[in-house]
Amino acid sequence: MENDMGVIVKTMARATIPFIGIFGAYVISHGHLTPGGGFQGGATVAGAGILFLVAFGLNEAKKRYDKGLYSALEGLGGLAFLGAAMLGLSVAFFYNILWRNKIAFAGHPGTLLSAGYLPIMNLAVGLKVFTGLISAMMAIALFRRWRK
Amino acid sequence: MNRTFGALALLFILGVLLIIANPQYGLKFGLGGDDWQKYRYTDQYYIEHGVEEVGGTNIVTDVVFDYRGYDTLGEATVLFTAIAGAVALLRPWRRDEDGK
Repeated sequence: MENDMGVIVKTMARATIPFIGIFGAYVISHGHLTPGGGFQGGATVAGAGILFLVAFGLNEAKKRYDKGLYSALEGLGGLAFLGAAMLGLSVAFFYNILWRNKIAFAGHPGTLLSAGYLPIMNLAVGLKVFTGLISAMMAIALFRRWRK
Repeated sequence: MNRTFGALALLFILGVLLIIANPQYGLKFGLGGDDWQKYRYTDQYYIEHGVEEVGGTNIVTDVVFDYRGYDTLGEATVLFTAIAGAVALLRPWRRDEDGK
């Protein structure tokens, strides 16, 4: 069944999807320096996935979507977020012990490797939002109830 | 008529809320003492101490992931619950498969 769009849309999607992904990865990884963060970057990367589904159709997207992998990655993102929050549990929950005791990610403020657990949390939340939105999109696209 | 009264009542409630929430002569809830404003209006504190205490130059990320981390945890839980609910509601049920 042909449910993809035409050649023009597919070519444009091939050209733009990598850039959308790169921009989303930039927003996630620079979340503690520039505007943006895990939620926004994850939603941007998920937008690339939605563009893929719209342009190439459901059958093509179904081949590349692995339910178990995406579920595992979403759980991993949530657990990494919780784990980064529990690192400073000796003082308090959500205590930024990596930054205050200069253990890791303790560079000068404004560099990429600074701000303690903030980059870890941004990566975890970005992964969680990306996989979660892709899972929701695939659920809505796959499980339609209406008849043709 | 009733709609006019409703709109006037809403305006009255809004005015009362504005008076109550005014930091000059409104209700002082929270900690007592003279420095209650310091504990209630914390934005200037975040701007001045955020880079030194948390490390990120993006103050919004500092607030979201460190000062108000519980809120972000709840937000991630809301996202997870919404997706789990969507998948659970939308998946094909056993009743749909036979015939209808």
